[in-house]
Amino acid sequence: MRRLMLALLLAVAPVMAMAAGAAGPTQSIAVGEVLRGRFVQERHLKGFNAPLRTEGHFVLAPGRGLIWRAEKPFAVTTVITANGLVQEVGGSETMRMPSSRLPFLSRLYDMLGGALAGDWRALETDFVVTRAGDDRHWQVDLTPRKADDPIAMPFHAITAQGSRFVETVAMVKPDGDADNLSFLDQALSSASLTAEEAAALDTLTK
Amino acid sequence: MIRIAAVLWLAVVALAGGYLVQRLHHGLAFRTDLMALLPREQQDPTIQHANDTVTRALSQRVLLLVGGADRARARDAAAELTRQLTATGLVEITTSGFDKDRLQRLGALYFPYRRGLLAEDDRRRLLDGKGGEVALRALSQVFGFVGMADARLVQRDPFLLMPGFFASLPLPLSKLTLDDGMLSMSDGGTTWVLIAGRLTDEPYALDVQRRLIGPLDEAVDRLGPGLEVLRLGAVFFAKAGAEQAMSETSSIGVASTLGTVLLVLVAFRALAPLWLSLLVIGVGVMTALSASLWAFGELHVGALLFGVSLIGVAVDYSLQYCSEIFASDDAPPRNRLRRVLMGITLGTATTVIGYLTLFLAPFPGLHQIAAFSAVGLVAAWLTVVLWLPLLDRSKPPRHGAGMLAAAAGFLALWENPRHHRARVAVLGLLAVIGVAGLIRLHADDDVRRMQSLSAGLVAQQQRIQSLIGSTGGTQFFLIQAPDDETALQREEQLIARLRPLVGQGALSGFQAPAQYVPSAARQRENRALVHAQLDGTLLDEQVRQLGLSQAPAAADDSGPVLTLAEARGAGGPLSFLSMLLLDGTAGETLHVVTLDHATRLDLLAQAAEGLPGVRLVDPAGDFSALLAKYRNRAMLLLALSAALMAPLLAWRYGIKRGLWVMLPPSLAVVLAPAVRALAGGAFTFFDAMALVLVLSVGVDYAVFCAETSGSRKPVTMLAVAMAACTALMSFGLLALSDVLAVRHFGSTMLVGILLAFLLAPLARSGMGSVR
Repeated sequence: MRRLMLALLLAVAPVMAMAAGAAGPTQSIAVGEVLRGRFVQERHLKGFNAPLRTEGHFVLAPGRGLIWRAEKPFAVTTVITANGLVQEVGGSETMRMPSSRLPFLSRLYDMLGGALAGDWRALETDFVVTRAGDDRHWQVDLTPRKADDPIAMPFHAITAQGSRFVETVAMVKPDGDADNLSFLDQALSSASLTAEEAAALDTLTK
Repeated sequence: MIRIAAVLWLAVVALAGGYLVQRLHHGLAFRTDLMALLPREQQDPTIQHANDTVTRALSQRVLLLVGGADRARARDAAAELTRQLTATGLVEITTSGFDKDRLQRLGALYFPYRRGLLAEDDRRRLLDGKGGEVALRALSQVFGFVGMADARLVQRDPFLLMPGFFASLPLPLSKLTLDDGMLSMSDGGTTWVLIAGRLTDEPYALDVQRRLIGPLDEAVDRLGPGLEVLRLGAVFFAKAGAEQAMSETSSIGVASTLGTVLLVLVAFRALAPLWLSLLVIGVGVMTALSASLWAFGELHVGALLFGVSLIGVAVDYSLQYCSEIFASDDAPPRNRLRRVLMGITLGTATTVIGYLTLFLAPFPGLHQIAAFSAVGLVAAWLTVVLWLPLLDRSKPPRHGAGMLAAAAGFLALWENPRHHRARVAVLGLLAVIGVAGLIRLHADDDVRRMQSLSAGLVAQQQRIQSLIGSTGGTQFFLIQAPDDETALQREEQLIARLRPLVGQGALSGFQAPAQYVPSAARQRENRALVHAQLDGTLLDEQVRQLGLSQAPAAADDSGPVLTLAEARGAGGPLSFLSMLLLDGTAGETLHVVTLDHATRLDLLAQAAEGLPGVRLVDPAGDFSALLAKYRNRAMLLLALSAALMAPLLAWRYGIKRGLWVMLPPSLAVVLAPAVRALAGGAFTFFDAMALVLVLSVGVDYAVFCAETSGSRKPVTMLAVAMAACTALMSFGLLALSDVLAVRHFGSTMLVGILLAFLLAPLARSGMGSVR
């Protein structure tokens, strides 16, 4: 669930910066453009020798959805759109969650849609948003307004940093477990999605 | 002498009136559930017990779905309605308990037993020797986008068997999910929030309906625009049904009374017969209501509805008496009464016999109708005999000639030798109609069609079901076993058969105790499976892949398993299991498996075959079967009723002429369903009950015709015609009811009474030679 926030942050942070006219990513993504990149995710869980490290690629197409392809330690593909979420391993589906079963997910999509349109009030209903830094190096802190219910709000704090794009995101859970994400080799292209990517995003409309 | 009797009767009526006033002062209790009208006789007390328990649980359920485009407003509205419902003190809200504590307590309950609790998918993989798939499934959950893993959980349950079992628990509200403490779902931009509760009082009690739905309606009105509230629950249907019955009772009652008043005014062109008739009706209804309340303590709305129609019959006796004024001899009141006394006394006696046979049907509601009608008729008869001659100051009218001529003309159709051929032709035609109709006669006993449910509420129910998934049906499996373990094992066999049926769409889901607490045998089997398939190299590999600092401690598979007794503990997270676990007798345990949206009862019944103690219970289906049984029984009542009247008629007229008197009502009873069948109507229990009354009323008409003679014939015929008109107005109007059962009753009464009237002069055929 917490990684759902990523889809939000990747798209929301640039717009937040623009709307604030101050710190934040300098590059926003328009509908029709596609952001591709690599990610490294480290999950710090108590009782584990080392953080759980996942690497892979992602494709973010505003208005369409997000493809999150973990490659190491093994391949898990997650596709998330306004209709919900599908996860597959080696070509077989291991999870499918329609957004109708997940108001939190569809709320994220409300925020996402609002933020892309320059309206991030949706985000502020759940978080206190603090911005700092300048165009070259900015930081956005999200603090949940309702921190006492881990089911409704599974985060203690979220911090995103970056310059042109979001570069790192740190998410801390109430129990101290944390996820650190780094985004690398990000490139914005106006080229449309590949057939394979489009097909992956369409699996949810079936 | 007659004056003393009249005064005594006045005392009785005053007593009844006083009692009624006292009851009205305390507020009348009316029952509105159809079930209360129906018999308590059952073939099997176990099924009856299970039926009652499940039906009660279902009927106490209250569901509200609050929807709006604005999530926050929808949630605020849901919170407000929840407050209002709680404030009534009638509803125990069950959705508010969905907090993190509950999930944590559920986890705490299951966790120690996790090695014996497997999701069906995982169990299947392990049975197929595919432990690797289970490991991969767990890894994808840890490393995938949706990180469900909790560090402490992964350390102790590296294959994530526990979350898998959690996810496989049957959720009756399958499309809902927990959103910030409220069960919600989103559908095309609308956020729907569920409020579910349990009514702590009787959903069919009118004051409960008022106290609950009144404040709820007001709260919904205050919500403002942009929000929608859908409702589901027996209490809502019951209130709509009661309001419909009440409005029908008053509209039919008013139409019937107005029609009768107009008829009397037009026919007599005087006020005296009107107020005398109203007096007879008033005393009849008042005494009947008073006596019924005294005898039964309360009255069913349905009994009241039928009882109001009694007016149509009670007025017959007063009309018989009053019509004598049209006789040309200007006799004093007492002489006029003497001329009709035998007719109305025989009529009352036979009709009361007809109503009293209703007491033989084991339907509590029919007992009320029988008592109401019998008391009312006797009271009306006493009023006519004792009071009317004393109160009557009528002068002979001068306008009667035309009406008497018409009556005489109608009688001539039956008596004049010139029309002999026409009569034979008509009787022949009726015979053809009878044969053709009786061939087409078909029975319909489906109780679901007999109740009329509020269309608006049915639409809301369907929307709720499509939005949140099925809300549970009335059918269920009943599992009877010597102990819980045996019952759980049988459920597991049943579940294995039900799973493919869900795939085929024969039902959309089911909830069995064994899904929450598998049998001890199944838990031990699962432990052995986990040990054989997952422990060892696969576990080592999983620990390495996950980067765990150490493997979980070796499990002790010989420990105790989770038991129902522990799981259902009061106030615990699974306390709702008590709804599926009924109190059995000593040495017997009863479990219930509820079904969602069952469409193929035949396949479901098959699924129970060969499983000892397991059977499908379909209360509506059983009920329909019962209605069929009682439809047949009603026909027996009809025959019995006729047999009881026959000695009385034979005593008065002799056997041969008595048979002639029985002929018109008998023909009406046979032909009415035939005509209804030709018009496409099915024959139901309610038609059969109507025929019992057609027989009584028909015998009245026949007796009136048989008792008259000479110059009185047109007068009697006129009175019978007026009686038939009033009966048609009261019973015939029931054919307009929205309640199908009442409509069937009314339609058959309409046709039957018309036939009974038209054929009544046939009763004189045996008299001609004598008088």
